Amino acid sequence: MYQWLLVRKYLFSKIMPLLAALAVVLCTAMVLVTWSVMGGFLDMFIRSGRTVTGDVAIAWPNVGFPYADELVAKLKADPMIAGATPMIESFGLLGLPDGQNKMVIVRGIDPKTYSEVTAYNDILWWKPITTPLEKDVTHEDPRLNPGLRDAMEFYQQGGKTLMRVDARSGDAKPAIVLGIEASGFNWRMEEGFYKPQQYVKRAADGSEVLVDGFLPRDGEVVLSVLPLSRKGGVIAQRSMKMPVANEFQSGLFEADEKVVFVRLDVLQEMLEMQKARRVVDTAGATAPGEEGESPAYGQVAATVEDPSRVTQVLVRGKGDLGSLGAAVPLKERVEEIYREFAKAHKGEVPGASTIQIMTWEDQNRTMIAAVQKETGLLLFLFSLISLVAVFLVLAIFWSMIAEKTKDIGIVRALGAGRLGVAGVWVGYGLAIGVVGAVLGGVAAYFIVHNINPIHDWIGTITQKITGNRMLIWDPRIYYFSVIPNRVDPQKAVIVLVGGILSSAIGAIIPAWRAAAMHPVKALRFE
Amino acid sequence: MLTVTNLHKTYRLGRVSVPVLRGVNLSVREGEFVAILGSSGSGKSTLLHLVGGLDRPDEAPPAVIEFDGRAITRFSAGQLDQYRRRDVGFVFQFYHLLPELTVLQNVVIAAMVRHGMGYTGASAKVREDARGLLDHMGLSHRLDHRPAELSGGERQRVAIARSLINSPRMLLADEPTGNLDHETGAKVLDMLLAIRRDRRQTMLVVTHDQETAGRADRVVRITDGTIE
Repeated sequence: MYQWLLVRKYLFSKIMPLLAALAVVLCTAMVLVTWSVMGGFLDMFIRSGRTVTGDVAIAWPNVGFPYADELVAKLKADPMIAGATPMIESFGLLGLPDGQNKMVIVRGIDPKTYSEVTAYNDILWWKPITTPLEKDVTHEDPRLNPGLRDAMEFYQQGGKTLMRVDARSGDAKPAIVLGIEASGFNWRMEEGFYKPQQYVKRAADGSEVLVDGFLPRDGEVVLSVLPLSRKGGVIAQRSMKMPVANEFQSGLFEADEKVVFVRLDVLQEMLEMQKARRVVDTAGATAPGEEGESPAYGQVAATVEDPSRVTQVLVRGKGDLGSLGAAVPLKERVEEIYREFAKAHKGEVPGASTIQIMTWEDQNRTMIAAVQKETGLLLFLFSLISLVAVFLVLAIFWSMIAEKTKDIGIVRALGAGRLGVAGVWVGYGLAIGVVGAVLGGVAAYFIVHNINPIHDWIGTITQKITGNRMLIWDPRIYYFSVIPNRVDPQKAVIVLVGGILSSAIGAIIPAWRAAAMHPVKALRFE
Repeated sequence: MLTVTNLHKTYRLGRVSVPVLRGVNLSVREGEFVAILGSSGSGKSTLLHLVGGLDRPDEAPPAVIEFDGRAITRFSAGQLDQYRRRDVGFVFQFYHLLPELTVLQNVVIAAMVRHGMGYTGASAKVREDARGLLDHMGLSHRLDHRPAELSGGERQRVAIARSLINSPRMLLADEPTGNLDHETGAKVLDMLLAIRRDRRQTMLVVTHDQETAGRADRVVRITDGTIE
């Protein structure tokens, strides 16, 4: 009991314990702010990972597998599954209007069902918006322009259907949706929005002209793919000129730079994966036109119906079934359904043991793990720095105990034992830890909650002083226009408890020193 | 009540051994007021510390301090703590009050140390006793003051109240008037004598003041670590 009386009295009687508490405040706030921002960044990043992949993917890359519609129907009938969609994923070459060519990942999708499984409709960039991005104080985002509203609706509709309607003829033509970073014509501004830039185009006479880089207006690209035979051999190159219907931003730079969307039927045809009749000989199946596999002279040839193929079926779980760490039961259910499907089409589709069934986490594991490791490393480094608090408390307590030597002698003379005296100082450390950690938690909450205005304020001040705006969180690099500003209560509790324990640990050695003092020497101390 | 036999105590100052007590023998009866008179450095405070369980005598030659038939020289550290909590009360020359606590808290803390976790149940009575003692010492108007706001005489009265709050069997006072002017010292001494009379309090008072010693039941002189 006397321990708490002394702790209470010592706590606010001197400046030194307040300095120790301040050290705990700073370290607690520093770790919590770092964890909240980096953890928030990871959360946003992970959520982005689901925007274009769904929760679980059944994949047989390149050559694909047939009867996807039947599999999709079976999947949709399951109570755990909210939606399923067929998709083809292949490599392609994108010919841009400025003459550049770049490797891309081409996804052939059915936009309607694909948007039920992914956030496809939400990630289409060019669409009318009424509320500016949080950082867009200048309101220069073209999407906000009321004069472009109809045009933006047109681009949005084009993106949703992957078709481009010719304004004059009214004919609809298959179109392409590019990742917002794919063309390199869209510059991401400090305010978080994109501003299309002009690019140089070489005319037929060799002269160079500047052309508007806003591709959805009337831009066209050439998509080239390499269809493969069922055995994996290249059949021939197929190219198609397509208008750009829209562009998308998923938040995953990998996707936004390399992925393009076209209609499933279009890509199926380009890759020769559509439903077709195939010529076979008496020796076995061959693909039409495949070198060295045409029916031999004298053999009896026939044709068979070859069903259309896709390389992936994407699945969306109901509710939170697909959220981080929770997609495994959904994956197991998908595996069961595929097992039945493979059994029904034995020999025609890849077996259940060979097909690739992956959660969205499996697919993005490398990127997620990298950010997780980065967050962990940063947290470790800051926690290491926070050890300073332990040593600061230790140093402050060490000197306070020298100052309070006589008090220690007095309480020992009154009959206090060594443990009781040690308890005063450990309790004192705990009290400083509680005060410091709580204040640090409040400070961290304030900082994290207002991190975007604080960041903007720093930018304004630095611009006034140096002429250059300081951007710590640059949306041109970090993809999200605002800094994550949410404190996770669970993380807050861990950091606060850590702060309290650090302070108590820092107090242990001085407490031992106090307990070891000889009472007579302590009483005679001057 | 208290018997001290063949008490030796040597302090080491670096490589030099300084013998302070050289075979002290002493006995104190219950209710007796014994004054230990000696000059500065004679070992009288050391004797008080050893009797009060704040320090231990030299191991050789073997010494015995018996209190109520119990050899406190054989006590463990925990038993010595308990002995100080229950059986003795200290009054020091320089008062030794805790500067952050109020007058009332300085008295109550001794009971807090004694009762430990059981203090919660006893707190009301302890506070009442503390107020009564301080009232008796003429300090009822100073309960919420801090030691720095008190005069020397008032501080020593608080220290006396603290030493009595646990109703110890024996009061050990180390130069209780040594830091006070003559008049205040006389008042403090009167107070100690009144306590001794009212409570039949056993008191062992160390002093170099002849006047203080003269009012004791018995005076024991200590010179160069031995009782004359």
